[in-house]
Amino acid sequence: MSAFVLALVVGALFALGTFLLLRRDLIRVVWGLAIVSQAANVYLLAMGGIELGGFETVPILAGHGEGVPETTDPVVQALVLTAIVIGFGMTAFALVLSYRVYEEHDTLDASELGDRE
Amino acid sequence: MALQTLSPGAESTLVIAPMLIVLVAAVGTLLLGTRPRARAGVSLAGGAAYLVAVAAIDWYVVLAPDAPGAATYQVGGLPAPFGITLVADGLSAFMLTMVGVIGVASLVFSIRVLPELDRRSYYFPLFHFLALGVTGAFLTGDLFNLFVWFEVMLMVSYIFVAYYGGPQHTRAAFWYVALNLLASAVFLLGVGGIYATTGTLNMADLARRLAAPAAYGIDPGPVVGLLGLLLSVFAIKAGLVPFQFWIPTAYRAAPPPITALLAGATKKVGIYAIIRLSFTVFADAQIGVDLAIPAVGTILAGDSPLAFIGAVLFVMGTASILVGGLGAVGRDSLEGVLAYSSIGQVGFIAVPVAIAATTTVPDVRHIAIVAALVYALNHALAKGMLFLAVGAVRTATGTSRLADLGGLASRSPPLAGAFFIGSLALVGIPPLSGFFGKFLVFDAAAQAGSMSVLVLLLAGSLLTIAYVTRAWNRSFWGQRTPAVDDAVTDPVQVAVLLALAVTIVAVGIGFEPIYRFADAAATAALDTDGYIDAVDPNQTVSGADGGNVDAGAGAGEGGGGGETGMGTEPETEPGTGTINTSNGGDTP
Repeated sequence: MSAFVLALVVGALFALGTFLLLRRDLIRVVWGLAIVSQAANVYLLAMGGIELGGFETVPILAGHGEGVPETTDPVVQALVLTAIVIGFGMTAFALVLSYRVYEEHDTLDASELGDRE
Repeated sequence: MALQTLSPGAESTLVIAPMLIVLVAAVGTLLLGTRPRARAGVSLAGGAAYLVAVAAIDWYVVLAPDAPGAATYQVGGLPAPFGITLVADGLSAFMLTMVGVIGVASLVFSIRVLPELDRRSYYFPLFHFLALGVTGAFLTGDLFNLFVWFEVMLMVSYIFVAYYGGPQHTRAAFWYVALNLLASAVFLLGVGGIYATTGTLNMADLARRLAAPAAYGIDPGPVVGLLGLLLSVFAIKAGLVPFQFWIPTAYRAAPPPITALLAGATKKVGIYAIIRLSFTVFADAQIGVDLAIPAVGTILAGDSPLAFIGAVLFVMGTASILVGGLGAVGRDSLEGVLAYSSIGQVGFIAVPVAIAATTTVPDVRHIAIVAALVYALNHALAKGMLFLAVGAVRTATGTSRLADLGGLASRSPPLAGAFFIGSLALVGIPPLSGFFGKFLVFDAAAQAGSMSVLVLLLAGSLLTIAYVTRAWNRSFWGQRTPAVDDAVTDPVQVAVLLALAVTIVAVGIGFEPIYRFADAAATAALDTDGYIDAVDPNQTVSGADGGNVDAGAGAGEGGGGGETGMGTEPETEPGTGTINTSNGGDTP
């Protein structure tokens, strides 16, 4: 059941992020990027198995012997921490960049930025 | 020349040396703040040390008569597959050498082209961080770590594209950032899925598990789709059609020495990742599912996902050759021509990789990988040099628009000569490096027996001749324009260009050792067992036995969190971090 809810949430987040990414307003695009990367993080966390488990459900324990305690998967949590930090830095950079777009072009509308290559 | 063997363990240290050197150079230049001369000095010293370290890896790990072929460094002393493993084998060493040469040339060039820009910003630290990301991506043996190095590389390239671009390029920079952030999320999806499917992120461990899925109790079916996700991410980095659209604007926005590095080095990271994952990691995978599309037929039969990768890459590669070639013919600036040209040239690298993936003959696969690597080397040298030449033209004349240029050949013969040699290398005239690249690619296509591929490659080569001739005629021959009349070339920049031109000629004339190196790199790329053996000597594909050897060490990471909640006595043995596997888990 919780797996189903989690799948729904991840799907909804990706849908929302994609929708925002396709907007003309650059701030919404940055929101979209942030939401997509957060959705990827939730997905990544779910990939370790969402319930306490032993060797048969926790990926890193699979195939490494049977005598291990019940635990959540520690690896995905370490991965997600790294991904969150990277995503945070990238979002901050994208926000600063959109501010610079506003300073230089007096608009945040992507379609008004012109097509100069 | 020190030819004696290194002491045991020294090779392992050698593996991490290039990364440490660029890191020290990056931090050093950062600390030096507003002293441009000291910064330039530290940068150059770092570049030289990098070349020495890479040459040492080349010799002691790959090329020496008694070289081991691969060396590893376990970061933090954690054993594979639980820690991050750095692996320097033939393929990594080849790529590092390529990046080292073009990187140092572009570094020397930068010192003359950007003096006042560096004073306002952090050009040299960023340059070294870019090199750090590229180096890390080539050396890492861990899938998630590869993601991290990609991000290091990308973060820096965002700044180069956005900061140095100016107002007219801010929009391009924004879309470049947005595209790559999206690609990073897709990369994470692929990595997460592969982890959930196989239970490991270590590339060697991954290869071992995929080759014998039943022994590890995993169902590797989803891996094909996940590999498709990763392939699209790498194709974005390499700029293959249909992911080529960011290249022209981003290459124009970045300063010329960085564009040389983007085309010469970061593009090759995409190619490297495709080769490494497809051949070293996934080649022996036993997928055990058939994929069929109605009206197309079976696209994947049985075991290896290589057939699927090969088909996709083939379409991407040929489309890149045509789109890049046709696009380059119509551009109105030198950068535009070269940017589209590099889309086409990456197609020439992707097509032999696709041939290698689809063929079942080991010899053809080998020669195709060699062809891709030699072509990549030629592209890094020639295209890198041409982008630097455009930088020199811009320094001299203030423009790179074809309409404003003309008669440069009479104004600065050395600059024109360097550009000419670079152009000929792109076209593939003997005895330059490009000739062997093109020759091997055609040879691989002929050996694979594919007539249509040969025709497409030929069409691409003709397009190359067309756009190179056009760029040359418009900017170097003809009437001198006012901008060219007032041109003053920078002697150091021209010297760098000439040095690269000599390198291109030397690679062509003394091709035999280069071929041996590329041959060793291709062997390493295809030698899954050797790779696994280097990373984790206890187990190879043939010796897969469920992986119980390392069970305790892996559980030790998770045990710390789990044991307190479970009320059992601490299972972690002091000091070692391993779990006594006989009494864990069963206690209620």
